[in-house]
Amino acid sequence: MLGYIVHRILIMIPTLIVISIAIFTIIHLPPGDYFSTYIAQLQSSGEHADLQKIAFLKAQYGFDLPLWKQYLLWVTGLLRGDMGYSFLYDMPVNKVVGDRLLLTFLVSVATIIFTYVVAFPIGVYSAVRQYSLGDYVLTFVGFLGLATPSFLLALVLVYFAHVWFGISVGGLMDPNYMNQSWSMGKAGSVLAHIWIPVIVIGTAGTASMIRRLRANLLDELQKQYVVTARAKGLHPLKVLLKYPLRMALNPFISDIGSLLPQVISGAVIVSVVMSLPTTGPMLLDALRSQDMYLAGSFLMFMSFLTVIGVFISDLALATLDPRIRLQSGRRQ
Amino acid sequence: MTDITLDPADRRPTPGEDSGALPHYVSPVPFDPMSVEAMTVGQARYSQASQWRLMWWRLLRHRVAVVCGFLLLAFYATTLVSEFLAPYALDTRNTDFIYAPPQKVHIFENGSLVAPYVEGYDYRLDMNNLKRVYTANAAKHETLRFFCGGDKYLFWGYIPMRFHLVCPSEGGQLFLLGTDRLGRDLLSRIIYGARISLTVGLIGVSVSFTLGILIGGIAGYYGGWTDILIQRGIEVVQSFPHLPLWMALGAILPVTWSPLLIYFGITLILGMIEWTHLARAVRSKLLSLREEDFCTAAVLMGATPARIIGRHLLPSFMSHLIASATLVIPSMILGETALSFLGLGLRAPITSWGVLLSESQNISVVALYPWLMLPVVPVIVTVLAFNFFGDGLRDAADPYH
Amino acid sequence: MRCVFALCRGIGALPRPVYGERAGVRGRVLLFIAALVALALAAGDAHAALQETPFFAKDVAAGKLPPVVQRIPKEPALAELERFGKPGGDLRMLMASPKDVRLMVVYGYARLVDYTPGLAIVPDILLGVDQQEGRIFTLHLRPGHKWSDGQPFTSEDFRYWFEDIANNSDLSPSGLPLQMLVDGQPPKFEVLDETTVRFTWDKPNPLFLPALAGPDPLFIYAPAHYLKQFHQKYADPQKLADMVKDAGTHNWAALHAKKDVPYKNDDPKFPTLDPWVLKTKLPADRIVFERNPYYYRVDGAGHQLPYLDRVVFTIADSQIIPAKTGAGESDLQARYLRFDDYTFLKAGDSAGDYHVRLWRTGPGSQLALYPNLNVNDDAWRALMRDVRFRRALSLAIDRHEINQALYFGLAIEGQNTVLPQSPLYRTAYRSDWSKYDIDQANALLDQVGLTKKDADGMRLLPDGRPCAITVEDSGESSEKSDVLELIRDSWRRIGVQLYSKPAQLTLFRRRVFSGEALMSMDKGIENGLATAAMSPSEFAPTSQQQLEWPEWGEYVETKGQSGEPPDLPEAKQLLDLYNQWLAATDAGDQEKIWHQMLAIWSDQVFSMGTVAGVLQPVVVNDRLRNVPTDGMFNWDPGAQFGIYKPDGFWFAEPGGGSTAQATPAER
Repeated sequence: MLGYIVHRILIMIPTLIVISIAIFTIIHLPPGDYFSTYIAQLQSSGEHADLQKIAFLKAQYGFDLPLWKQYLLWVTGLLRGDMGYSFLYDMPVNKVVGDRLLLTFLVSVATIIFTYVVAFPIGVYSAVRQYSLGDYVLTFVGFLGLATPSFLLALVLVYFAHVWFGISVGGLMDPNYMNQSWSMGKAGSVLAHIWIPVIVIGTAGTASMIRRLRANLLDELQKQYVVTARAKGLHPLKVLLKYPLRMALNPFISDIGSLLPQVISGAVIVSVVMSLPTTGPMLLDALRSQDMYLAGSFLMFMSFLTVIGVFISDLALATLDPRIRLQSGRRQ
Repeated sequence: MTDITLDPADRRPTPGEDSGALPHYVSPVPFDPMSVEAMTVGQARYSQASQWRLMWWRLLRHRVAVVCGFLLLAFYATTLVSEFLAPYALDTRNTDFIYAPPQKVHIFENGSLVAPYVEGYDYRLDMNNLKRVYTANAAKHETLRFFCGGDKYLFWGYIPMRFHLVCPSEGGQLFLLGTDRLGRDLLSRIIYGARISLTVGLIGVSVSFTLGILIGGIAGYYGGWTDILIQRGIEVVQSFPHLPLWMALGAILPVTWSPLLIYFGITLILGMIEWTHLARAVRSKLLSLREEDFCTAAVLMGATPARIIGRHLLPSFMSHLIASATLVIPSMILGETALSFLGLGLRAPITSWGVLLSESQNISVVALYPWLMLPVVPVIVTVLAFNFFGDGLRDAADPYH
Repeated sequence: MRCVFALCRGIGALPRPVYGERAGVRGRVLLFIAALVALALAAGDAHAALQETPFFAKDVAAGKLPPVVQRIPKEPALAELERFGKPGGDLRMLMASPKDVRLMVVYGYARLVDYTPGLAIVPDILLGVDQQEGRIFTLHLRPGHKWSDGQPFTSEDFRYWFEDIANNSDLSPSGLPLQMLVDGQPPKFEVLDETTVRFTWDKPNPLFLPALAGPDPLFIYAPAHYLKQFHQKYADPQKLADMVKDAGTHNWAALHAKKDVPYKNDDPKFPTLDPWVLKTKLPADRIVFERNPYYYRVDGAGHQLPYLDRVVFTIADSQIIPAKTGAGESDLQARYLRFDDYTFLKAGDSAGDYHVRLWRTGPGSQLALYPNLNVNDDAWRALMRDVRFRRALSLAIDRHEINQALYFGLAIEGQNTVLPQSPLYRTAYRSDWSKYDIDQANALLDQVGLTKKDADGMRLLPDGRPCAITVEDSGESSEKSDVLELIRDSWRRIGVQLYSKPAQLTLFRRRVFSGEALMSMDKGIENGLATAAMSPSEFAPTSQQQLEWPEWGEYVETKGQSGEPPDLPEAKQLLDLYNQWLAATDAGDQEKIWHQMLAIWSDQVFSMGTVAGVLQPVVVNDRLRNVPTDGMFNWDPGAQFGIYKPDGFWFAEPGGGSTAQATPAER
């Protein structure tokens, strides 16, 4: 087991390095940089760009250095925990990201919980009562969430939430609670607002989870030991819960790795539509205005999260499934 | 001596007596020693059927998948004759009917069956609210024409024609799904948009397919260091958030390209991100299959790796691959709509479902002109159909079921 | 009797207009009428007994702030208000980006000199300005005027800016701002006393005062007491070095540039003269500005302005702002609302506690086409320079259809030039070459020599290429693509094909500047409400940013170092006229020059306008007063809300526009 862990950790490092190079390249691919975009925006709206101040910033952050030097500067900064400087917000990236990170976690975790809570019973029911009307209906509903483009669903839900429930349009809480420390009122407001994004983002992941669970459970239910147990007169529920379900939990755990980037990525579009104070809209703005440090550092952070997530899910899987430990590889 | 009385039914019958049992039957047919092994016609066909035929039969048992398959076929068929099916040409606009709501087709008038017609609109500009008010006027009876000559168009971009399936009456309007902000018929735009949206998925998936088979094949066949390297590479691509990748790649598409080239560029980008699932599947299958005897035999006979992969290994699970590929198409369609929404994918003047949806992305539409959100219906139907069909294919292709 | 006395004193305290020698009779008559009107409206007296602002009452009682009489200047500025109001209330507004904090400086509109709604320039922060020969400006400050942190605002602040910022080679390597140079010569700057400074040029500088009154103005003063600690000349070297290291800036100049943010307005510690001062530390999604205790304007009924205690910006995505406004989350909103949103907002009008007004916009054309006279391709360049080609294209634009389809027929069709509301307007300027006439357009194109046509009837260039124009734009709004669709159909009737190519903003501009783009589409003339005293720079090649002649503009802007000199006689003429305007000393001369320029501009069709005067929805809370019903929403001049002086807006019942309590935690 220890060998397995060490092996995985050792592999993570070059993975992260390659990802960082990829991110750096991608951010610099579009022509131009933050400053030229900013200047063009100001000029097109009739405002004057203070070219002198911009020149100061440019020199300060080494934008006149060759690319590979900029890359090294950035990476060494990341290792020290300094995510760089955001020109869009005009302050260090650490400060910008701050509060939004917590809310992103909140939304992501809530979405994952929602996905599991909804997918589990539906998946089990579908497998046990295969081809029944209930199976078709529930799977259909699950797929509906997958098929509808999230941004449209978000906008429609936002509008109706306002018209029917009077919830303020967009945002994660009533405007009065912004910038305030956490209190019962603030938490309550967040809860009232969070269900729309959670539903919109979560429905997409739910469908695939239902499918996986159903397929795996169906496979298990046909195995010999289940038939034996049933023939020996074990209570049907116990037959279901004690053995096949454990095997079917496999996708839940192995999917965390792929669920996390999907949730974060799907959350971006929904956050933009609903104007949530999470990292999604911030990332979009940063990419659009080519704010290199903000976009790059944040992407790096997200990839890091994903790699860690995969690692943890691999560990959990290895603990759960002895076959993997023995083979020292993931079951495909 | 007294006889013990027995139940008459228990008494053994004497020879020759009719005991009420079945008559003894002897078949007059000559004895055929192979009769047990002979098969019925159905069984014979089954045992001689190829893998593909077996898959087809299994697929037919999934009624939902079959229905979805036909639906998809119908959708793709419409892309061949979009110009014929749409009531209007793509660019037709009518500035007198901006934001007109959908018209209902009536087939009954005063209780009797008549040719289908719509009620024409009376148009009034409410200057107070700056709103266009349309009221259906029962007196304006506009009968639909079928197989008629309507707007001019270029069939497949080359042949000028005027033939439409259905047109509005002379001087009348037919807005079955309403109009948009320039007075363009939404139904026509959806039909034309189907061409782009449906084919994006196909082209993108073929790119994914090729990449997936190539890379997964190499990884699975050679194993060892190649495999480890490629696996790590796949992990890198998979753990990368898609959205910024799209944004950056969409931003570097040169602006000098024609809309068609940009369209291909977008499909390429979408394809380049989705190949990892396929590669993984190919790799794992190859890893297990290459130990099989038929593969060893081919190696001993001196076949090159390419031939072994292409001719022997792949066909054995091609069905599985196709099923996986079918399931990738819906994510491409959704990806295209997402990209168009962000303004990175296709843009006006190209028409695709994604472009239509991105044009409906504001509160005025949701509140006042909700019919403009109708393009979401074909998106949902297509994605669902692909999902169900792909599921059916996968169930049918799985040899262990 | 006392009343008349007070009245006279009141009139005396009215801001003295700027015209000086040049105004002549016209200026004085205007002043008299203005005085009468002021009397009719709200006859206020600057020295009426001042009541303490309730917002500061507690602080004054606790001794943290001096009483109001000591906070305002000895001669405060008197606001001209429709109605007197009551202090109190929070104004909520929606913004799309944290950088929008600069809009508080724009809307607060505390300038040395202001534009009035009638577009005259009057002193605001200044007590008065004396002008002689248009080249000698004597600025009089208000004695006792203080910065928002209580320190005195004196001529030292002007001296610090001129000598230690603008003329400091580290802080301003490129020298003085353009509006301070006449023929490249800087002015002579003198401090006459604590409240008087003087700028003297050799030749007239008509750009100086409009620059001071702009939405993002020329700042010729800076809070010396605050910035000196960041300046190498005044600060303790060790302390300065420590601060440079803490802030992580390159050197002291970068630190000073970072701290000197009169327009950027993102530092709560920076002293200002604006009516509302930033209180929230950024970044934040809800930004609060509180009233400036040392604000220099009073309403004349005993209140120190502004009436509103607080202004709150909530940051939301720009796509969702119309929805949020419709839900009543903004008390005063115009930015990020488009004409298309009016129907939706009006629908919610009766239900919500707001109502929607429609204001006029100022640009000469909502969208205009700019043929690139410096395009690289030779054949196209020859065509673009042929005035008959441009006129034909302009005649073939069906402006009426555009107006009906997109703007409910409420916009004004015509060329890309001044609007009817401008005193320089003449009907011919807008209507020449802009009435839809396909026949004349076809005839002109035939005259130019584009007689070869292909099978579809589309014209061909002499070298055989199709006459297909690709119009590029920065692609942000569907409005542009809609207008291009309409134009494409009408140009097809004269045999010209149109392709539209949206591109990202920087790329779009780069392609225009480098000559790759054939034609572009962008907003029209910024200042459609021009008066003779305003700069006609938009009508002559003066800047690289002009899309119709970027190379010529660059040549003039860089004083001949890059770009090409204008070689079209009419463009050269416009440039000469512009230089004449710069040197003009007489208002009559300025007007004559303007008319000459406008005539050439319309005759030559250097840009093709579509429609102008598109209405801008302005959402106003039902309880908010003193907001004009009919106004003009324009950037320069106008500062969007600025010229209507939001410091005079007030809520009919104090308590603010929101139901929740604003917490003191926002400080």
